[in-house]
Amino acid sequence: MIDALAYGVIALAGIAVIWGVVTAIANKPPGKAQLLYAAGLEAVTVVQSIIAVAKIVGGFRPVELATTIGYLIGIMILLPIAWFWANVERNRFSGIILAVAAFAVLAMTLRLIMLWTPAG
Amino acid sequence: MTEAGSQLSESTGRRTNTGAGRVLVAIYGIFALAATARASVQLITRYEEAPLAYLLSAVAGLIYIVATITLARGTRTSRRVALVAIIIELVGVVTVGTLSIVDPAAFPRATVWSVYGIGYGFVPLLLPILGLAWLWRTRPSAP
Repeated sequence: MIDALAYGVIALAGIAVIWGVVTAIANKPPGKAQLLYAAGLEAVTVVQSIIAVAKIVGGFRPVELATTIGYLIGIMILLPIAWFWANVERNRFSGIILAVAAFAVLAMTLRLIMLWTPAG
Repeated sequence: MTEAGSQLSESTGRRTNTGAGRVLVAIYGIFALAATARASVQLITRYEEAPLAYLLSAVAGLIYIVATITLARGTRTSRRVALVAIIIELVGVVTVGTLSIVDPAAFPRATVWSVYGIGYGFVPLLLPILGLAWLWRTRPSAP
């Protein structure tokens, strides 16, 4: 984990949450820019997980090793599944689905920051 | 209104997997993932610390998986299964939530349902209520 990157993910995910809610309120399906943004958020999330796993492979041992690895993997699959699910039926609820997934990414990143303390 | 692919004559009711129901499925899916992953880690790495709590986590994960799939399918049979799963879920979160406050010794380690799901913003308590409300709203009307 790199703190700056983690907080970046949190900020980007927060924007994705708001964006999803805004299009839902406007009663519109997510537009192209919004979908691209979600893809960008996913890319940054994947980069974060890769860096964190590399640090673990490189010898860093967080207190809850198994949980941390579970979070690092789990956090990467949320947005792709939400993207697919949001596009099967495109309407206002698609934006909410993207918002829910982005919120989960945000919450999981916060938890990862807490988990990222060296063991012993 | 999507009627496409509806092989059943469900024009009287609505399928559980359209509109707001898709959001419900998404939230259930996240909890299915979270609870199952959490239970797997707990059972594999430290089963002996709190077998009851960890097995309950696994049961919770399983119920979330069943509810996710059945709500996402949205057929007549699957909504019956979803109803049973969500009722078990509601009973589970209320029971475990209450027990974890009354008798914390029985739950030395947290589960998704501890203190009504406080670790997850009480969403585990809200979710079965929303699930039942959604099944009620999309119920097939009497013939």
